[in-house]
Amino acid sequence: MTAWIDFARGPLFRLSLALMVLGLLRIFIITLLEVRDGYRANSDKIVSWKEIRRQTLGWLFPMFRLWRQRPIYSTVSFLFHIGLIVTPIFLASHILLWRQSVGISWAALPQVAANWLALLVIFTGAGLFLGRALYSPARKISHRQDYFWPLLLITPFVTGYIASNAVISPRTYQEMMLVHIYSGDLILLLIPFTKLAHCVLAPLSQLVTGVAWKFPPGAGDRVAETLGFADRPTWVLNPRLTTAPVEEAIRKGGVAK
Amino acid sequence: MASVMKSLTRPMTAEEREKAYSTPKKPDVMERQRLPVRYHVEDFNVEDRPRRFLEVFASVLQHHPNYRLALDHYMRVTTRCARCAVACPIYDATHDPHDIPCYRSELLLSIYRRHFTVSGALRARLLGDPGLADEKLQEMADSYYNCTACRRCHFECPMGIDHALVTHLGRYLLSEIGIVPRALVVSTREQLIGKTANTSAIPLPALIDTLEFLTEDIQDEKGVHVPFPIDQEGAEYIFFTSVSDFMMEAETLKGIAAVMKATGDSWTIGSKYYDGINYGLFYSDQVMEHVLHMMRAEAERLKVKKILIGECGHSARTAKFFYPTYCGGKNALPVISILEYTQRALKEGRIKLDPKVVTEAVTYHDPCNIARPGWIVNQPREVLKAFCSQYVEMAPNGRMNLCCGGGGGTVSIDEIRPFRTAVSGRLKAEQIRRTGATYCVAPCANCKKQLRELMEDQGVECEILGLHDLIYKAILLPPDSAEETAAAEAADGSTASPAEGSPS
Ligand code: SF4
Repeated sequence: MTAWIDFARGPLFRLSLALMVLGLLRIFIITLLEVRDGYRANSDKIVSWKEIRRQTLGWLFPMFRLWRQRPIYSTVSFLFHIGLIVTPIFLASHILLWRQSVGISWAALPQVAANWLALLVIFTGAGLFLGRALYSPARKISHRQDYFWPLLLITPFVTGYIASNAVISPRTYQEMMLVHIYSGDLILLLIPFTKLAHCVLAPLSQLVTGVAWKFPPGAGDRVAETLGFADRPTWVLNPRLTTAPVEEAIRKGGVAK
Repeated sequence: MASVMKSLTRPMTAEEREKAYSTPKKPDVMERQRLPVRYHVEDFNVEDRPRRFLEVFASVLQHHPNYRLALDHYMRVTTRCARCAVACPIYDATHDPHDIPCYRSELLLSIYRRHFTVSGALRARLLGDPGLADEKLQEMADSYYNCTACRRCHFECPMGIDHALVTHLGRYLLSEIGIVPRALVVSTREQLIGKTANTSAIPLPALIDTLEFLTEDIQDEKGVHVPFPIDQEGAEYIFFTSVSDFMMEAETLKGIAAVMKATGDSWTIGSKYYDGINYGLFYSDQVMEHVLHMMRAEAERLKVKKILIGECGHSARTAKFFYPTYCGGKNALPVISILEYTQRALKEGRIKLDPKVVTEAVTYHDPCNIARPGWIVNQPREVLKAFCSQYVEMAPNGRMNLCCGGGGGTVSIDEIRPFRTAVSGRLKAEQIRRTGATYCVAPCANCKKQLRELMEDQGVECEILGLHDLIYKAILLPPDSAEETAAAEAADGSTASPAEGSPS
């Protein structure tokens, strides 16, 4: 079992971390490039930067607006996120691992605080799960995976907490560590490919929306042309009566597809 | 705020529900069009719709990088937390999961994910998913016109998703395969290729008649000659408003003309094009662009310096935020709303309002299109507070206001009035009732129409009017100078007519 743990703590962790960083970097950059494309396609460069900044900061530090709607759920979610980010980064034993392997270290949380934070994550995480399962609108729009995320995310916290606090046999300790490390690695791996990617993408949302409302001039006409409707746009009589507009238009040689 | 909304809510009774979803549409039409929606749709080709929808989608993505950007991003970040549900007045009324903003957006996002991303295509292959089905199109056709595109939910989404943008895109895509409310297309058709070039099909002679009549009216009521200038080349402002105002909102227009008279700024209405309405915002970027080009052509013909938009929310928004998009970016003519204009004039002391005239309680409804971006929130309030002795706020208000229930063009779709007044305007009616105000000022042609119907159907005693209706009551106009009287007599008390030979 020790070998398994060492593997997960060493090479697998490094791989997961690298994939996470690269993956997040990739979608972050892709999004920025798409923002650039959207911005360039437009002749109107009037974007309300002030509003974008205001809204982005507002959601990065959401304590002032969360209470507006679903206050309990929102507060729970806020606390969950804090614990989720802070605890693993500032846990003394994690920092120790960093020091041993790469030789870098930073200030650690006192163990008591870390314990409380871990409990916070566990309970708020369970709260998020219940909030989703019990609040009917959320239940109605949830995908199956949405129930899975909070459970997966609290797994390393539950096992980590038990391993470091409970009086357990060395064997159980090892089992806990095994689950702890593998679930942690799994989370890192999954972040860039799932909705967890919102950890880096969400701050771009206001920018994206601001630019997305800027429509490229002439695009509407070009769409109609591509579809073979250049002479019959939506507002002309019987707008869309042809059966196969595109094929027909291509046959007539009018449209490059 | 949550509490305000909660306290307003009372569940819909089964009876109300039935009425709200009733429709005058004939079942055989729905059958023929395979479209169980409550609004009328002109006949279109129903064969093979999913495939054609995807072709349209592909083409739109190809030419609009902005939409690809939004969809890619929204698809990645959406966490389905359901906070938006509480912000949406429609969901509040119906409690139908199909009316949760996030659900609405997911309709389109899931198609995008399935058909336009690699991972979606792979997944579909693994799971043997056949792809877009006709039922989904039908659902979208219904859902995207239940949303009033008010953008309220945008403020409550921690992920920053703008569901109204998705609704906009959804409607655009549907319209390209022929699914679009008849009311909107018919008006747009008249505006873009009809003889009268406006959505209400008001011919120029009728417009001139109306304006002359209004001038006479003001002369009788205020004893002052207040013209509605037409085709004044080189004027400072060209004036566009929802063209229906010329039939329905005489008082608003008189108020605006009185303000212009008092400030003395030159302004004009164009005889070739005088409609501010732009239904493109509600269903088609192509339409929006063409309508704005007509506006631009008229402004250039008359060599004006600025564009002045009357009391109309979506006209103001399309002009302010999309005129630069389509007509020259930063070099485009500046767009000003009459609400900003009047507030500035009042602040500069160029108009005088009598504070003793309006003594009844007055409240203010924020039209979504101008309030949501934070553009026009305080200006009209400042004006109202300056001369109304009893001003009351409704809550929530300002940028977080509740939509009148007729946004996104739905107010023009007469056949869905039961839905608008029972569902989408439900909270609004309660909100206005609670202010106990005699007048509710709603400076937007769409809001006014919807709110009047709402007051009637929900039995609320409150008169809906425009800001300038009240201003007209209270404005103090200096008496005409001798020259002005002479000019007025020379014009036979009439409006300045368009130059000889201008088309009718
Ligand atoms: S835009 Fe308005 S009506 Fe549409 S989903 Fe959002 S809150 Fe509801």
